[in-house]
Amino acid sequence: MIAPKHILGTFDESLAALRNNVLMMAGLTERSLERAIKGLFDRNDELCAATIADDEEIDQLEKQIDKDGVDILLRFQPVASDLRRVVSAMKLSSNLERIADQATTIARRGRKLNRHPPLAEVELIKPMYEHAMSMFKDSMDAFVREDVKLGCEVVGRDEKLDDLNQDASHKLVERMAQDPDQLRGYLNLIFVGRCLERVGDHATNIAEDAVYAANAEDIRHQSQTIAATTS
Amino acid sequence: MENLVMETPEQTVLERLEKGAAPPPEAELPPVRTFEVKNMSIWYGEKRAIDKVTLDIASKAVTAIIGPSGCGKSTFLRALNRMHELTPRTRMEGTVLLNGKDLYASTIDPAIVRRRVGMVFQKSNPFPTMTVGENVVIGLRLNGVRNQKLLNERLEKSLRMAALWDEVKDDLHKPGTSLSGGQQQRLCIARALAVEPEVILMDEPCSALDPIATAKIEELIYELKSKYTIVTVTHNMQQAGRISDYTAFFYLGRLIEFGPTTKIFTNPSEKQTEDYITGRFG
Repeated sequence: MIAPKHILGTFDESLAALRNNVLMMAGLTERSLERAIKGLFDRNDELCAATIADDEEIDQLEKQIDKDGVDILLRFQPVASDLRRVVSAMKLSSNLERIADQATTIARRGRKLNRHPPLAEVELIKPMYEHAMSMFKDSMDAFVREDVKLGCEVVGRDEKLDDLNQDASHKLVERMAQDPDQLRGYLNLIFVGRCLERVGDHATNIAEDAVYAANAEDIRHQSQTIAATTS
Repeated sequence: MENLVMETPEQTVLERLEKGAAPPPEAELPPVRTFEVKNMSIWYGEKRAIDKVTLDIASKAVTAIIGPSGCGKSTFLRALNRMHELTPRTRMEGTVLLNGKDLYASTIDPAIVRRRVGMVFQKSNPFPTMTVGENVVIGLRLNGVRNQKLLNERLEKSLRMAALWDEVKDDLHKPGTSLSGGQQQRLCIARALAVEPEVILMDEPCSALDPIATAKIEELIYELKSKYTIVTVTHNMQQAGRISDYTAFFYLGRLIEFGPTTKIFTNPSEKQTEDYITGRFG
């Protein structure tokens, strides 16, 4: 829904600039995560290196969004939906930065894995990645479209990602016992799985902030209730 | 273009009024009420300033009345102590109960009402020919109190409650108008407190003050609400957010929304409220 124009044109401009920076940061974060995983699956060191290099730009955007958010709070003292949008944008940028950090860690682990013979168990990562990425994309859609239902659905999906991670970790630990020569490789895959599980946690935070921005409803720490209502 | 015209705030309000506004949930209403206003309408001559307002005012809490100029805020406030009756050709319908008693019953003396429900105005108005001390106790004197000991006690108590005693205790014999703007406004609050009212009405009490004097009045309001019911009109959204427990939004003489201030300023139920407090019309 497009809000009517503010009596101060500069307020609308500032809010739009803040939102655009969040969307740009989300786009860069999504690309980093894609590149990190592609670098891992395709054993492509260049993609891993590009992911690591892109992190700097994402960090700078986080600082810019925080600065712009504080500036809006200071200059305009927004209330109601405007206040929620500014606060959510600032919280979102922090979660996006952490997702990008997870992508960087995956890229670093990927580079280590690429130095050794390929492991078939990398396939265990694929369903986790797909699930984490869909959670991330949907959480951002929920924010952009102010879609409360989608936001709640994303929160309910985090449990499945935790299960996938736990399942993959068990299998990898078993493989470590069976094939101790590849112990480092399996360990790296366990860390990659943990990174994706953290991506799911941050996507959950984003979805919760999206619901708050749209509806002023704080749905944090109610995942079981939400899972029950959305299933 | 037609659609844009259809979405002007006035028409949206009228549409909303036609279908009838949903009352706020019981949990959002004041638990203990000093005023119960039912279907209040007020006319100045032919012009209706207040249109069927029903609103309860919480006891020992601050209720802020907000809305654009001409929306009926001040008229509503003045009707709570019958001050609006001083304007010629005024007519009122509906009921106003003060602690369960009809404020407009034929047996009720408006002067008594105004003693129980004190008022502080936008511009400080100490009596220019009176000293600081005389300004504070004039209400008591007019009510026949002659006991000097009682007057002195009430003078100090009122000035202390208005957070002014320490600043003026050595200047009680100076003219009230010799004080600074902020001190004069607190002097007026002390004058209102001296007659020991149950309610204090404030009509934009800080609009003519600098930020430091405003902060002192706001702190005073916060202190006073433990003892008094306070209703204040303000154009300052941030001030309403800071000092009030409940907020009522008026528009075109109607009450559009009423509820806890935190709710009104984070998630108002009505689009008109949202548009007004976020600066989208007004």
